[in-house]
Amino acid sequence: MTSTTAFFLRREDLIHLLEELSGTVEVVAPVLVWDEAAFATWRGEALALDDKNPLASPVEFFLPKKEVLFRYVQYSGRYTFSEDPPKARLIFGMRACDLRALKVIDGIFGADLSDLPYASKRRSTIIVALNCTSPGEGCFCRSMGSGPVAEEGYDLLLTDLGRGYLVEAGSPAGVYILRAHHRHFEEADPEDIKEKGRLLALAEEKMIKRGPFPNPEKIREAIDGADWEEAGRRCLACGGCSFVCPVCHCFSVLDQGVPDGERLRCRDSCILSGFSRMTSGANPRPDPGERLRHWYLDKFLYIPEKTGLFGCVGCGRCSRVCLGEADRWSFFKEATE
Amino acid sequence: MEKIATICVYCGCGCGLVLHVEDGRVVGASPSSAHPVSRGRLCVKGWLAADFVHHPDRLKTPLVRRGERMARVSWDEALSLSAKRLREIREESGPDSLAILTSAKGTNEENYLLAKLARAALGTNNVDHVARLCHAPSVAGLGIALGSGAMTNPIRSLLSSDAILVTGSNTTEQHPLVAATILEAQAQGATLIVADPRRTQMAELADIHLAPRLGTDVAWTNGMLNLIIGRGLIDEDFINERTEGFSALKELALRYTPAAVERITGIPPADLEKAAAAFGEAPRAAVVYAMGTTQHSSGTDNVLALANLVLATGNVGRDGTGIYPLRGHQNVQGACDMGALPIFYSGYQKVEDPAARRKMEAAWGTDLPATPGLTAVEMMEAAEEGRIRGMIISGENPMISYPDRGQVIRALRSLDFLAVADIFPTETTALADVVLPVASFAEKDGTFTSTERRIQRVRRAVTPPGEARPEVEVAAELLRRFSVTADYASPEEVMAEISSVTPSYGGVSSRRLGISGLSWPCPSPDHPGTEILHQGSFPIGRARFYAVEQQHLPEDLDYPLFLTTGRSLFHFHTGTMTRRTHLLDRERPKATVDINPADAAALGVRSGTMVVVESATGSLDIEARLTAEVPMGTVYIPFHFAEAPANQLTTRTLDPTSKIPGLKRTPVRIRRAEG
Repeated sequence: MTSTTAFFLRREDLIHLLEELSGTVEVVAPVLVWDEAAFATWRGEALALDDKNPLASPVEFFLPKKEVLFRYVQYSGRYTFSEDPPKARLIFGMRACDLRALKVIDGIFGADLSDLPYASKRRSTIIVALNCTSPGEGCFCRSMGSGPVAEEGYDLLLTDLGRGYLVEAGSPAGVYILRAHHRHFEEADPEDIKEKGRLLALAEEKMIKRGPFPNPEKIREAIDGADWEEAGRRCLACGGCSFVCPVCHCFSVLDQGVPDGERLRCRDSCILSGFSRMTSGANPRPDPGERLRHWYLDKFLYIPEKTGLFGCVGCGRCSRVCLGEADRWSFFKEATE
Repeated sequence: MEKIATICVYCGCGCGLVLHVEDGRVVGASPSSAHPVSRGRLCVKGWLAADFVHHPDRLKTPLVRRGERMARVSWDEALSLSAKRLREIREESGPDSLAILTSAKGTNEENYLLAKLARAALGTNNVDHVARLCHAPSVAGLGIALGSGAMTNPIRSLLSSDAILVTGSNTTEQHPLVAATILEAQAQGATLIVADPRRTQMAELADIHLAPRLGTDVAWTNGMLNLIIGRGLIDEDFINERTEGFSALKELALRYTPAAVERITGIPPADLEKAAAAFGEAPRAAVVYAMGTTQHSSGTDNVLALANLVLATGNVGRDGTGIYPLRGHQNVQGACDMGALPIFYSGYQKVEDPAARRKMEAAWGTDLPATPGLTAVEMMEAAEEGRIRGMIISGENPMISYPDRGQVIRALRSLDFLAVADIFPTETTALADVVLPVASFAEKDGTFTSTERRIQRVRRAVTPPGEARPEVEVAAELLRRFSVTADYASPEEVMAEISSVTPSYGGVSSRRLGISGLSWPCPSPDHPGTEILHQGSFPIGRARFYAVEQQHLPEDLDYPLFLTTGRSLFHFHTGTMTRRTHLLDRERPKATVDINPADAAALGVRSGTMVVVESATGSLDIEARLTAEVPMGTVYIPFHFAEAPANQLTTRTLDPTSKIPGLKRTPVRIRRAEG
């Protein structure tokens, strides 16, 4: 999706724009929490756009770690149900890798029977993406074809040119914001568009060490050939890789409270043995190594079969959180060399 | 959505946690990348640390027993009734008929005020907490050997170690972030030695695994020292300049030859030699230990033997060296520091020391008792005998966590008055006359002190449910009802009082606590804190060697197996929080007794068979799980489960010095359950 016209937003005007937007929707943006960037409701504080991509992906605003699907109240033997409407939100500063993750999840939760809680949050959220000009050390989005340049899935796209931002619309909602807040935008100079190209080429170059990604057959061979028993011996079963992955979407549903209470949906993890254990106690994936193997198979074979996209977006978060210090990227690098 | 920076509530690692808050509810947790311990990582409990906070079981109103029923009452009624009953008992039987158990889950401020409540309001030193069941031998043993019972170095110091001896610690399950640091050090070239009767993941990943018989730790530790002396690997300069008492120890160690050690421990001499060489030759070596070392009737001796090992090799006071007693609760270090112990005021100032007592009397504006109080397990005995008649238990669940459950039930039922403060109903609140609903870690401000002496800020992310209150407020209300001044507008003001009377916390104030907190001792506001202890000198001048002998372990033919207890990665303590966390409880939904397949074959037991485990104190119906993780002759039960409480079997055999019960070694027998 390419925008028809590009605009320029001066650095100091960004805050004014966000202030105006926050009058009508909840604005979520990366802010500093304990010396690091995290996506949270923006209340006018300084934006933390120069830090690494936050560890907690903004995908949590679409697939919360824990959400109330509905509340139930029993009265004289009859149940009544209530649910909260989705919030109108604008997420500012989402990067290409997380945008791709949403597209993958759209392919899963949007297919066949649409997942309503997810779909309603998707519909009620505006995404203002930011092109990633400073990828982190462990990022390999370029290898996965998901970044650092955002190509689709945003309403507005910003590129930091230093003195200000190049702004492009990617949807009618984006165009609407450009029109409604037109006083903050000026038409972009052709030089600005050239500068964007130069900066993004630089960002891609930074990631040259990691990639290009091996073809799916090679991946299958790598997964078949890996020593999963040894990988499992070193796994400390924290589940962190699945809790931070922006594409991981498995959940469990539980009812809390009798007779009144809530039906909750919580994030689940295939790294935990209870995920695949059956009521009888039998477990098709009893060892940590087998569960890790499944994690890779899902991302690199099963999800691609279903959605046509890799279930990994190269954000590198799994390696950042791994208690066993496993560099997930090196697995493929070593296995396919 | 708000993101609130705080500290994890589970183990002593003290990880930096970010709580995700949506519409007044905690909906998630993630690690802090900038925090020195978590460094962007958490264990599974940490990732799920927020899940129990809004559980519908939370206690929301004060309750008072009316016959068989618990009635909802106002805070004022619950507190006034508690104060009235405690005062009546004190008038009838004296102040030492009252006791308080504080909570290692509470903040420093809460522990300080509860200890103050015991001493200044009730007038007794009968105050203790769960440290009695975990690191009392470290406080006692390291206290007399080095002058301080705490971890000597920060966790990240292990990254500089060349050899790490881990003993009595199932580190990957109990202190996962410490384990990750140790494994990082190993990947960089450090030799990892693990001494554990069980083949834990840590043992599995070790370069050298020593599997001693239960209760023989002094023998193999002395044996390592024997070999280190024999090979000339001791640090003579360090011994001469900074220690005393080595000659007696040397004489004793000579008797612990590899062959003698093998007879006692079952460790092959070749393995012991490898371990001694790796530890002795390392320029920087460290010892990491936990409950497997301390929870023995020889707990203090076990700690002293390990202290001998680090002192003889000069491994104290430098980066990469040191001795690391891993604390089990996120604030058990702090609860000890705050004087929730029967012989110490905050900062380990002795209650028997008249100068310290006069100082505290001046600060608190009241007279204080001079005689040391009873320890936790002694309190239970005194309660059964009627010497203790009234008790406040804050955030502890002795019905599951204390040894000899049958005795605990008798003890708590004998009390004339019991008030219990907790976040959930527990087996202990079920016996209470008054139940006080309090705030969880996500609902209050204050500080926790982690295993590495790091004082860190805890922040309120959401409001407590119903009428539940932070315990600082509850303790202050009770203090006022005993006419002790307690006008604290906030936990910060409590910390100001703590730092004014506690030398090691003298420079601590909430304002100073950034992401890395402050490590005590931090005596003054301009002091940067102390990460590595004993750098130039010991608080007691010279460190002391204590020549400790291996205890004789009698065999009992009626109970031919030995039970050892512990915790699972997926649960914490008595499971009040983790068993209400869906994914964690699903991961480990029930208790099992781990039996070696060879023992199981002899008993005719398979995985899933119901068995009866019997000890001298009780019996337990439990499902068997066959695993070679336990050696022959040893069985293992995690103690989290009220359905099969392992402590029904344990005994109150106490270590004479620290009064810790020998939870890690109980003689038992096993048979198949009928039917």
